[in-house]
Amino acid sequence: MAVSDGSKLRSAELMDQMAKHLETGAGEELKKKIGLVYQINVSPKKIGIDEESYVVDLKNAKVSKGPCKEKPDATFSFVDGDFMAVAMGKMNPQMAFIRGKMKIKGSMSAAQKFTPEIFPKPSKL
Amino acid sequence: MALRDLVTGAGGCVVPGEGASSSSNPLANFASSLLGSLPKAQERVRELPTIPTFQGPGQQLEYGSSSAASLPGTEFQNETQHSEFMRGFRDAEPAPYADAWNEATQRGEDLSRFSEFERIYGQKPGGNVQQLHYMDGPPQHALSGFLRSFFASSRTELPFHAVRLPELGLSGFDKQRIRDRSSIMARHFFADKGEEYVNAQVNAFLESLDIEDGVREVREPSNRAFSEMENYWGNTNHGKHEEWVQDFHQQYPQKNYWAEEFQSQHDADGWAAQFSEQQQSLPARHADFRNVSSLEQTQSLVDTLSKNEDPKFQNSKFLHFVSRMSRGELIVEDNQVKENAVPNAWAQEFTQVNHPGNWAAEFTAGEHANANSWADEFAQQEPGGAWAEEFSNRTQKWADEFQEQVDDGAFVSEDWQESYDKFVEEQLRGEQSRSASSKWTYVFADQNPYVGHPNPLKEGQELFRKGLLSEAVLALEAEVIKNPENAEGWRLLGITHAENDDDRQAIASMVRARDADPTNLEVLLALGVSHTNELEQPEALRYLRGWLQHHPKYGILVPQENAESLTQSDVARLFNEAAAMAPEDGDVHTVLGVLYNLSREYSNAIQSFETALKLKPRDYSLWNKLGATQANSARSSDAIYAYQEALNLKPNYVRAWSNMGIGYANQAQYQESIRYYVRALCMNPKADNAWQYLRMSLSATRTDLLDACDKRDLETLQAEFPL
Repeated sequence: MAVSDGSKLRSAELMDQMAKHLETGAGEELKKKIGLVYQINVSPKKIGIDEESYVVDLKNAKVSKGPCKEKPDATFSFVDGDFMAVAMGKMNPQMAFIRGKMKIKGSMSAAQKFTPEIFPKPSKL
Repeated sequence: MALRDLVTGAGGCVVPGEGASSSSNPLANFASSLLGSLPKAQERVRELPTIPTFQGPGQQLEYGSSSAASLPGTEFQNETQHSEFMRGFRDAEPAPYADAWNEATQRGEDLSRFSEFERIYGQKPGGNVQQLHYMDGPPQHALSGFLRSFFASSRTELPFHAVRLPELGLSGFDKQRIRDRSSIMARHFFADKGEEYVNAQVNAFLESLDIEDGVREVREPSNRAFSEMENYWGNTNHGKHEEWVQDFHQQYPQKNYWAEEFQSQHDADGWAAQFSEQQQSLPARHADFRNVSSLEQTQSLVDTLSKNEDPKFQNSKFLHFVSRMSRGELIVEDNQVKENAVPNAWAQEFTQVNHPGNWAAEFTAGEHANANSWADEFAQQEPGGAWAEEFSNRTQKWADEFQEQVDDGAFVSEDWQESYDKFVEEQLRGEQSRSASSKWTYVFADQNPYVGHPNPLKEGQELFRKGLLSEAVLALEAEVIKNPENAEGWRLLGITHAENDDDRQAIASMVRARDADPTNLEVLLALGVSHTNELEQPEALRYLRGWLQHHPKYGILVPQENAESLTQSDVARLFNEAAAMAPEDGDVHTVLGVLYNLSREYSNAIQSFETALKLKPRDYSLWNKLGATQANSARSSDAIYAYQEALNLKPNYVRAWSNMGIGYANQAQYQESIRYYVRALCMNPKADNAWQYLRMSLSATRTDLLDACDKRDLETLQAEFPL
């Protein structure tokens, strides 16, 4: 659909799924539970190079591409594969952080709320 | 108190880490005995080294020397507790001391100065008058002076001479501690000068302090309540670096052997030597270790990391972590490791000073940070602890000033960092890809009871029919071990893995099947499906296109040349043409559905699957595909029905069970989802995906079972969640 057009990253697909996921009741849940705005930068190979930004807006239950217009509550930076791993529960976010796979900027408490559970998991055909 | 500050200020840099426990700082002990007893806690705090800035002995001595004139912390002296002695000391003429010190500690290799230095500390048993006079100052001052000279000797590369010192009242235990600590210190200071030099220096040092070598067995008054702690220390296989940090910060009575063990384990090629070799990089911990619990958390994380047996891996992890700390990107604060954009500038300044005592620096840096928190804590606890607060403020101010001073000297060495990053990356890649070298290599099970079976293929097929998927896997593995070119064996193996919810093994098997038989349509479809699940779009497209190409009926639809460059929409178009050609062919619609999943045109995909299902209503995998498509398009409630249909047709369909769990989890019905995950895992304990999803659901609702999940304790989980 919209968000991931033109992107080669696998994470883009996950963002798409997230967008759809937020349109359902789950989106309302997350609005109530978290209600913060996150920016996620995903790079193909190395953090900071060629990165694509996605804004996961849990205040309005929307996902959009491109850097956040206002200031996000927290910003994460990943490499493509690592973001997938964290979102699907393969890698613990703390582990990712310690290993330097995940960089965080902004409010720590906001960052802590960003758990992998908020992402929908892909079902297997 | 001010005196103590002076003393501990000097003492802190000299023998770092001593401040951690009450009995360890001989200087403070002596001082406190002089100044009368004070609340124990305050005492402990005071014993903490105050120097936040370890720029090297030179500058430090300046600080020390000027303190004679203006003792730090004079502001928060408690007059009532000061004895005559203190006043007497303060009134002592500071000038000669200061001058002598200034002269002695000028940087630069001017020998004349050092001859004077040597004269002052010359090896004369009786000592000259000046020497004795100098050393007869207040014992703390004498000791601190003595200790400084030890330092200076390291810098100036002069052999250190033993000096007579007045009785310092060091207890046996104190002596032991000083001995151990100083030998470590010396080793680091003189790392480049060889063992004998080190020993000579240390011996001279110790001789002066009247510490015999025989003082070994003195046991500290250990507190039995901390026996656990001691046991932990006794266990030498924990991450040593973290032990060291924990030791320092937990402020419990310490055993001495940690220092030796640490040293013995890491001396040769450990991080300490490495760091001192690489002058650019600094392991100095800028971190603010506020909470013990955060340390424990880090400890558990490091433990997990260090489970990898490879020592290189261990070192690299630690180095990576510490390197991140050193770059100042991480600060441990409030139970979280926090990013910090400010580079670790002061550490760089330190490097530029070219001092090899990194380890010492680290200690003091850590101590500074800790002094802050400790002072805060005690200030809160002790009503009369106002001075402690000021004390902590002071250390912060000093740190800030220092930081400001060296901010322009900031320079982060990227190269070393990058090479370590690369190294870590490689290690991780080796760790992640279970199949190391080639991309999809099949991983055989270890102990296969079916090897040697007369007809494992038949057995496998039987087991598959019965729905015993994990067993079927083993039998089929035996078959392909026997006949590596058996396309059917590989194919069935691949399908079994897919149904067992293991796409990676499925792909590995299917690739082999395809090698054995490149035109088999089922194989191509299965490959397309598994790649779609793994979100590998280009490969999936290639296989699905291949399905069409190799199809006897529709192959002609695919243009012979430029087949590679067909886009997803092109291929979809071709499939639609094929469907038009043969409306009764459910397979075409199936593949088309998978194709639409690739491009996330979910409504089209659902349509295709529904069409296919009309033609093949008893195909359980079709029901699963339909459900999965619905779930992925956020219609999880519909998906549940589809999954249920699939399970009705095939009760042991692990993938469907797992997908059910996902379906519920996506609707935030975590309790339900747990049940289904557990059920899937009972059938296939090797389904890693399911474990991860289970963990996520558990952390949302039943954190008490997280432990069982991590241990993969199916029995407990099953007992909790029967279906």
